Amino acid sequence: MKILVIEDNKELASSIHDYLAGENYICELALRATEAREKLLFFTYDCIILDIMLPDGNGLELLNFIKEEHINGSILIISAKGALDDKIKGLEEGADDYLTKPFHLPELHARLRAIHRRKNLDGNNIISFNEITLNTNTFELKIHGNELDATRKEFELLLYFLVNKNRVLSRQAIANHLWGDYTDNLSNVDFVYQHVKNLRKKINTAGGDDYIDTIYGLGYKFNTNKG
Amino acid sequence: MKLADKFTLWFLAIILLVTPISMFTTLSNIRNRIDNSEIERLKAVNNEVAEQLKAGIAPDQYSQGRPIAILKIETPLPEKKIQVQKQRCDSTTSVTDECRITVSCYYTINGVNYQVSSYNYVTQSNQILKGMLLTAILKTMLIALVVLLTVRLVSKKILSPFNQTLNSIQKFSIKKKQPLILSDTNTKEFQELNQFLKKMTDKAVKEYSLVKEFSENASHELQTPLAVLRSKLELLTETDIQKNQATLIADMQNAIEKLSRINHSLLLLTKLENQEFEATTEINFTKQALELLTIYEDRIAIKELKVTQHIDREVNVSINATLADMLFDNLLSNAIRHNVKNGTIFLEINQKGLLIKNTGPEPVFPTEELFQRFKKSNQCSNSVGLGLAIVKRICELNNFDIQYTYENRLHMLRVDFPRIVSLEPVQEGNRIILDQDNQIVTLE
Repeated sequence: MKILVIEDNKELASSIHDYLAGENYICELALRATEAREKLLFFTYDCIILDIMLPDGNGLELLNFIKEEHINGSILIISAKGALDDKIKGLEEGADDYLTKPFHLPELHARLRAIHRRKNLDGNNIISFNEITLNTNTFELKIHGNELDATRKEFELLLYFLVNKNRVLSRQAIANHLWGDYTDNLSNVDFVYQHVKNLRKKINTAGGDDYIDTIYGLGYKFNTNKG
Repeated sequence: MKLADKFTLWFLAIILLVTPISMFTTLSNIRNRIDNSEIERLKAVNNEVAEQLKAGIAPDQYSQGRPIAILKIETPLPEKKIQVQKQRCDSTTSVTDECRITVSCYYTINGVNYQVSSYNYVTQSNQILKGMLLTAILKTMLIALVVLLTVRLVSKKILSPFNQTLNSIQKFSIKKKQPLILSDTNTKEFQELNQFLKKMTDKAVKEYSLVKEFSENASHELQTPLAVLRSKLELLTETDIQKNQATLIADMQNAIEKLSRINHSLLLLTKLENQEFEATTEINFTKQALELLTIYEDRIAIKELKVTQHIDREVNVSINATLADMLFDNLLSNAIRHNVKNGTIFLEINQKGLLIKNTGPEPVFPTEELFQRFKKSNQCSNSVGLGLAIVKRICELNNFDIQYTYENRLHMLRVDFPRIVSLEPVQEGNRIILDQDNQIVTLE
């Protein structure tokens, strides 16, 4: 996947770059709107990560530019403005998703993948890893071909792990992914623990391997080198 | 006490004080005048009699209607050639209420010393006093009456610029960011007052918006560094780290999480203060509440809470949809968070309002204080302590009444919706009751 990151903050842009590069994506950076325009005109990208507030222009103007020039690629807005109105505005202007700063990198990645899945309608709704198969359309979870009765949250949790394989997912990042805006309290850590525990138990009972590692006090990791 | 009343009282007091003094001076003046003029006249009479004596004419017993007494005296003339004797007659001796003035003059006519006396009666001061008193009382009463009647009207007119100013200040709201408009006046004091107020409020409005702008910008500007911090820490966790390093990173991540929440909540409060959620529509509160309950379903289940619900199907409240969501979100998440394992949540929503009762540890502070910002029942807990402040603010903005009580080991939060005239009749008794398994049971 080829991605253009339009973000004026160098440090944040490099973080995004580093994380996505780790997923073997081709990731390019544009720190200014003008730079972004040039790149958009000359190259094609699968996905564009766009900051709304740029020093030399508004991200929404860039959105219009992308639309007018019929540039392909999914657009994910990252913005410091988290109000519902701002989100609605961004989505109405043609963005595929909207992520509020400060976000978690695994969340950004998961969103990118979700957009990508939605956009590429080649029917590839199946995400699988070894004995685990997830159908993102029907929310079916199969282990060794046998359907597993998992709750919606457990499904989302496993999908999040599979998208961010071999990455340390902090409890906060998981909570944020599972409940979005409704994670106002920080005792979510316990809830995350419970969900992970239940998921591991279910996969284990269905004969699946336990890929989920606990990383000290940090969080969890889907370890593909196991099993 | 009204300003007009104060003025009236002072005015009346002054009149009451001044009237007797002026009466006394007037009385003595009049009496002196009367006496003096009579004395002068009597002197003239005496002189005339003396002239007659000089001319050798035998004077009458009366001259100009005044009785004359002529006395030859052997002794030398006294030093004072004219002697005045005022005989204040009390009513017992005098038939009439008058008093006698006798003027005696001494002459030497043809070598013989004479004393010529004449006297007359003048009106007694009592009589004058009586006449004056009546007038004075009448006058005082008249003034008092007129003052009482007119002072309100006049003060209303004179004080009208002041009252207008007062009105404008009362209506003035710093949050509306509109300058104070005051009407013109030609009274110097009110002009000064208005000028001062105008200057003060303009300054306040300016500074207020500056502060608001600052806090909003600051909150926004904080988001990006927070994002940088968070992402760098996440990248750090990907590296080869030891257990003790992991613990350090986890602590940092917790702190960043908290910082980010505080920032988010403060930004929200700023927006609430700035009235940025003006758009109010009539929403079905039940629908929103049920949606939110679904979102919290798993967390309720994990904490093994028993939820009892009495929710009317149609509860229409006019409120901004985002705010309604935030309101219920905060209340519900609080009820879950501050609950105990295997606890209960009782939820009632109807047209009158919203009631959430939940089990939980006893509050350390008086419950009303928990609405204050950063006030937490458990200071070392992980919560931010802004949730109830946000709830309170939302309620205030929508004229909802909110009460937090702790009774029978239950935390009780009651939000009363303002009474609205609903066109549709509320379907009484047609309630959805959801039990623990979230099966919808409709009671007919």
